[in-house]
Amino acid sequence: MKAKKIMALTASMAILMGVAACGSNSNSSSTTKDGKVVIKIQSFSGGLNFDEKGANLYAEYEKAHPNVKIEETAVASSDDARSAFNTAISSGTNAYDIYSADAAWMPSITAMPDKFVDLTSYTKDNDWLSWKEADAKSADGKLVGAGIDIGPTAVCYRSDLFAKAGLPTDRDEVAKLLGGDNADWDTYFKVGEQYHEKTGLPWYDSMAAVWGVMKTQVEEVYEKKDGTIVATDDTVKKLYDQLTATTDMSSHLTNWTDDWNAAFKTDDGFATTLCPSWLGNTIKGNTGEDFKGWDVADVAPGGGANQGGSFLVVPESSPNKDEAAKLAAWLTAPEQQVKAFKATGSFPSSKTAAEDPEIVDVTDSYFNNAPIGKIFSDRANAIKVAPYRGTRYYDLDTKFTDALSRVDVTREQTADQAWKQYVEDVKSLS
Amino acid sequence: MSSRNTKQQGTPGPSLRTRLGQLEWKASPYLYIAPFFILFALVGLFPLFYTVWIATRQYNTLTGDSGWAVCGQVCGDSGTTASWLGNFQWVLHQDSFWIALRNSFSIFLLSSVPQIIIALWLAWMLNANLKAKTFWRMGVLLPYIIAPSAAGIIFSQMFSDKMGAVNVLLQAVGLSPIMWHASTIWSHIAIATIVNFRWIGYNTLIILAAMQAIPADVIEAAVVDGAKQWRIFRSIILPMLRPTLIFVIITSTIGGLQIFDEAQMFHNGTSGYGGPNHQYLTLSMYLWTLGFNNVTIGQPNMGRAAAVAWLLFIIIVLIAILNFFITNRMASGGMAKVSKEVAAERAAQAERDRQFAIRSGVEGRRRLAEQQTAQSSAQ
Repeated sequence: MKAKKIMALTASMAILMGVAACGSNSNSSSTTKDGKVVIKIQSFSGGLNFDEKGANLYAEYEKAHPNVKIEETAVASSDDARSAFNTAISSGTNAYDIYSADAAWMPSITAMPDKFVDLTSYTKDNDWLSWKEADAKSADGKLVGAGIDIGPTAVCYRSDLFAKAGLPTDRDEVAKLLGGDNADWDTYFKVGEQYHEKTGLPWYDSMAAVWGVMKTQVEEVYEKKDGTIVATDDTVKKLYDQLTATTDMSSHLTNWTDDWNAAFKTDDGFATTLCPSWLGNTIKGNTGEDFKGWDVADVAPGGGANQGGSFLVVPESSPNKDEAAKLAAWLTAPEQQVKAFKATGSFPSSKTAAEDPEIVDVTDSYFNNAPIGKIFSDRANAIKVAPYRGTRYYDLDTKFTDALSRVDVTREQTADQAWKQYVEDVKSLS
Repeated sequence: MSSRNTKQQGTPGPSLRTRLGQLEWKASPYLYIAPFFILFALVGLFPLFYTVWIATRQYNTLTGDSGWAVCGQVCGDSGTTASWLGNFQWVLHQDSFWIALRNSFSIFLLSSVPQIIIALWLAWMLNANLKAKTFWRMGVLLPYIIAPSAAGIIFSQMFSDKMGAVNVLLQAVGLSPIMWHASTIWSHIAIATIVNFRWIGYNTLIILAAMQAIPADVIEAAVVDGAKQWRIFRSIILPMLRPTLIFVIITSTIGGLQIFDEAQMFHNGTSGYGGPNHQYLTLSMYLWTLGFNNVTIGQPNMGRAAAVAWLLFIIIVLIAILNFFITNRMASGGMAKVSKEVAAERAAQAERDRQFAIRSGVEGRRRLAEQQTAQSSAQ
């Protein structure tokens, strides 16, 4: 009887101790039993695909560095990844050694350079497009991120719907129709108007998606570099007016919803979408590989435009930051970017890689054998503006997109009403 | 143990062994429940109070604490001075907060009220003499085992504005499709449907268990007295379910006002949380967006989110108290409907009866004792 009670007592004490001990062994997994260094990478939205068939970059690196083991964890959405990332960085927990960071996160990352490893000395063999590199440079000149890919944007169009409407279907002619090298938004919307009048069908998917391109062509769209908010000034208002005047041409969908996914292959779906290089996989996924109709034209309204593109960042708190920085530099070196593009279609942010003949010659049978390598290289070269993203960019952008959706998707407000509410929203942010 | 104590009475004071034994006997119940309370203090109580601290601070996720909260321009001229109320003032100045509050209430009412009424009705039906009882009873619980996000994904596809199953059906019978994501009330109904789908079965089973605990003789007596089904339900079953109903209503109040997964999944897209005009932005979504998405450096995102969390907490406590009283009244049969005077009169009558019973008992015993003493003295 007594022995039993003492045992129970010790058992409950042990539970208490166990609870207390939980906090203290979070570093135990940075090396495996056989002494290998484990480098953990956090990614999002389907992962970085470095280990995709045809690239096998992790396996290659592990072979060359037998003491290293790479583990990647993909979080579902970029928002989830961002909040996990922010929490980890602010609390200093070394949950991961490398984070993949979206371009939109970079303003807040470069604002706290002390928390990240300066990659300058590790990336001597790397080269990037100047604006890509600038996004990852802090005010004191540190390089806190290694650029992975960029999203040069072209026009993807449904040649089957174009044919029905009597528009040219050949991709060079479509590029010419939309203005060729001097393509501007007026031409894009004018052709859209003709298309819509003839068929009654939508020309583009959503105003928010069009805005996603438009805003990258303005250097200081919401915020000036000195911190002044210009989100409700004339430049933005003019673009807003130009865009909201085209309500009829929209398919009134929200991007990434089920309705949007489904509209890629329906006969009354939108005829064009502005597609960054990485959207190709999404289109294929939404229509199925067998679908015939989508094609890519080497043109972008308003000149070049970049959408998205990620970086690898290494937090200072990582116990393996040296090994992690070496890996990040290697993964983003030109040779690896070429391999990644061939396997997954994520376009290189390295200048050398983008000019590599292996990339320029890539074609895609899904897009009617379009030379996507050459098209996206041209589109990357056409990018002239490096948009400035201040720390309030994300908040302001959400409010602006909401305003567009009130006009376009839910159609509950006129353009003027939505603008008025947007101006109020911007005021209440400060 | 007591036998050992008596043996040792001869020695001067209890031995160490005995004292340890006594200590163990007294302390062990507390030790057994201690793990729960220690865990609760760590992951429940501490965060609760730490949130109060954060809510008063200019706290940003990335840059940390930088002094007392500052409300900012929305508070007007006084907005630049630091005060512990700053974050609360800022939140109360936001239209989004009030819209989120409205949405949370609307979705809560649209889900909790039909949910409990249907659950009561279903439980009453399942309590009847059905064939294959267990099958029906387990059947109502099936939706509950589906993860909230899974149910959210499935229903958000059904409620898609264009290709969704519900709208396709509506159009097939010649009705016009409903803009589920554009209309405030329809988006609330859609989200409430997801919530109800999952929770009706759960509540049904809890109410059913309580119904089965009602003694059969009470109901049989009512039947003998000539009461019909509805009268039995209204005057016997409902009042006897009161403790269970209070539990069900309070848990569904807490759940209803904290609604997050379903609304987030219903959104079915990536940007513009809760709809472009905040049609279905709930308080929890607002809290999450503030705290974890808007990490803008220089703004106290954590502080503001903590302020929202505390406002939500206070609102839930108030509503739960209100619900408690309403349920108490509703489920107490006809008794609660009488005026205060009549109730007081009844209470006084009951008290008189009680006193009389006590008195008669006391008197009876006294009289009995007197008789006995009289008898014994006579002998």
